Amino acid sequence: MKTLAALKVLVVEDEALVSMLVEDMLSDLGCVVVGPAAELEEALRLAGGADIDAALLDVNLGGRPIFPVADALKERGVPFAFASGYGEAGLSEGHKGATVLQKPFREADLRKVLEGLAAQLA
Amino acid sequence: MSSLAKATSRAEEDEADDLVARLAAAEAALAEEVRRSRALNRIAEAIGAGHDAETLVQTVVDGGVELTGAQFGAFFYKVAGEAGESFMLYSLSGAPRSAFEAFPMPRSTAVFAPTFQGAGVVRSDDITRDPRYGRNAPYRGMPEGHLPVRSYLAVPVITRQGSVLGGLFFGHPQPARFGPHAESLMVGLAAQAAVAIESVRTHDAAHAELAQRRDAEERLKFALEAGRLGAWELDVETRAYLASDICKANYGRGPDDDFGFDDLVASVDPDDRPRMIAAIEAAIRHGADYDIEYRVRTPGGEIRWVHARGRAAQTGDHGGARRMAGVSLDVTARKRAEERQKLLVNELNHRVKNTLVSVQSIASQTLRTTDTPAAFRDAFEGRIMALSHTHDLLTQQNWEGASLREIFDFELEAFAARDRIAFDYARDVQLSPKATVALGMAIHELATNALKYGALSVPGGAVRVAWGPEPDAADAPRLRLTWTEHGGPPVVPPRRHGFGARLLEKGLAGELSAQVALAYDSLGLACTMKLPIRALEP
Repeated sequence: MKTLAALKVLVVEDEALVSMLVEDMLSDLGCVVVGPAAELEEALRLAGGADIDAALLDVNLGGRPIFPVADALKERGVPFAFASGYGEAGLSEGHKGATVLQKPFREADLRKVLEGLAAQLA
Repeated sequence: MSSLAKATSRAEEDEADDLVARLAAAEAALAEEVRRSRALNRIAEAIGAGHDAETLVQTVVDGGVELTGAQFGAFFYKVAGEAGESFMLYSLSGAPRSAFEAFPMPRSTAVFAPTFQGAGVVRSDDITRDPRYGRNAPYRGMPEGHLPVRSYLAVPVITRQGSVLGGLFFGHPQPARFGPHAESLMVGLAAQAAVAIESVRTHDAAHAELAQRRDAEERLKFALEAGRLGAWELDVETRAYLASDICKANYGRGPDDDFGFDDLVASVDPDDRPRMIAAIEAAIRHGADYDIEYRVRTPGGEIRWVHARGRAAQTGDHGGARRMAGVSLDVTARKRAEERQKLLVNELNHRVKNTLVSVQSIASQTLRTTDTPAAFRDAFEGRIMALSHTHDLLTQQNWEGASLREIFDFELEAFAARDRIAFDYARDVQLSPKATVALGMAIHELATNALKYGALSVPGGAVRVAWGPEPDAADAPRLRLTWTEHGGPPVVPPRRHGFGARLLEKGLAGELSAQVALAYDSLGLACTMKLPIRALEP
């Protein structure tokens, strides 16, 4: 089990204002931000090869669903959570039941989700 | 030859003459009987031939005249009107219709009453001497100009149920023309006529009812077609299913295609089928209303929504339905609209949530970069207004995006120094909603900064905004957008990285995959953005 300190978190978010907020929150929590990736190709590249411990994924990336990135993370065994304004309703069949951070969220909500992800790490 | 012999021979002769005369009379009577019998047969046949009521009654009256040797005959039928019962001339024989037209309808006088009340036959050798004659006001018997009647025979026409249809009347100007034989013949004829008239009436009524039903069916069909409603019927025991053309069309079938109950069930989407079967079984078992919407797959593979409604048209022995009837309606368009609306509501909800996060982000970052509540409020309000202006612009454009010039105009609309911002471009550029929001906020930050610290903070300072294709775009085409301040105070990079600079250099760079450079020099601030066209376009 890892603590949040120095936890390397991949952020995939296509809206500047939102990703700036998430970056600030993660920094406050002591995490290291990887990204943020605003495009699917960049997100896939980072998900497949970057040095990361966990990931926070915006469900809708400029009209394109994020699920290929989630699949890549699953394959690598990297725990992740979705951040979405749709709540769980916006998830695809294959990812129902995954952790969802409902937008908007407080820093405390993000902390709880990250702690859950960190707990999945060996 | 003796006188006796003579006498005998005369007697014999007389006897022979008498015999001849009697024989001739008998022959004549027989001939008359045969003639009457033949006439009766002919009339009976004509009555049985099933004509319309008018022809039938005319045949009866003509036949009666022929059989009785009457001068004229008539059939009056009974009508119940507002003024009680009266009798209307229906058929006439042996006299023109005009012979009766001048007179009022016969009333239930002493002479006529037995006939119209069905009490019995009135036969008189001379009606003018009958004690019943002239007993009613104005006590003068037949009205002036009436056909001359002495011999009189009137027979009521009564149905088997005992209701009086009317009466057959025969007359002759000579007295004593109708004997008992004629009376009995007419009684028989009246009975036959009653049966025939009744049967014609029943037939006519059935016809009228049929026509009425056909009209009603025609109207129903029209209403169903106008409402695009299909009609169906189901016989529960035999599972025979009858569907109208529109009903078949709702399931993607042609009018000539077979479409039985099993076809119906098979066409329902497997996901909806158990629900549909349960609903129809409940309707059959308990007589409940059947009202359901389900998806169907047409033979062409198309998915449609059908709304089916029905109820028991005939109740079975145990309270359930023996026969069901109902309608079906293709509600695909409504269902699609509902789905679209649901999607739109979801999308709206998503946007609202995202906007709330944007506001949260603006608040959080403004808080980090301002020193006093007044400064926070000033900066925060300005940013929220900038976001709001962008939304106004997008709403005006139905959220399909906006042009770069429009974004500048909207963001700078209430800006004091807007006339000191000059534009230089060859072609306006259309942007996606996402790029519109991002650039709207960036423009607000640049303008606010210029007004506070840059060229627009002093009189005489100005800004030049220019855009066009990036000349050194090697692989992907890019737009080069510059914000150049001049005539203002010399500027230096800020000690603390503000929200605006961060949004431009990092946020915009991330969101639009842009390269953003801020240059602070003695001439003023210069911002250069290199924006990939594919990230901007709607």
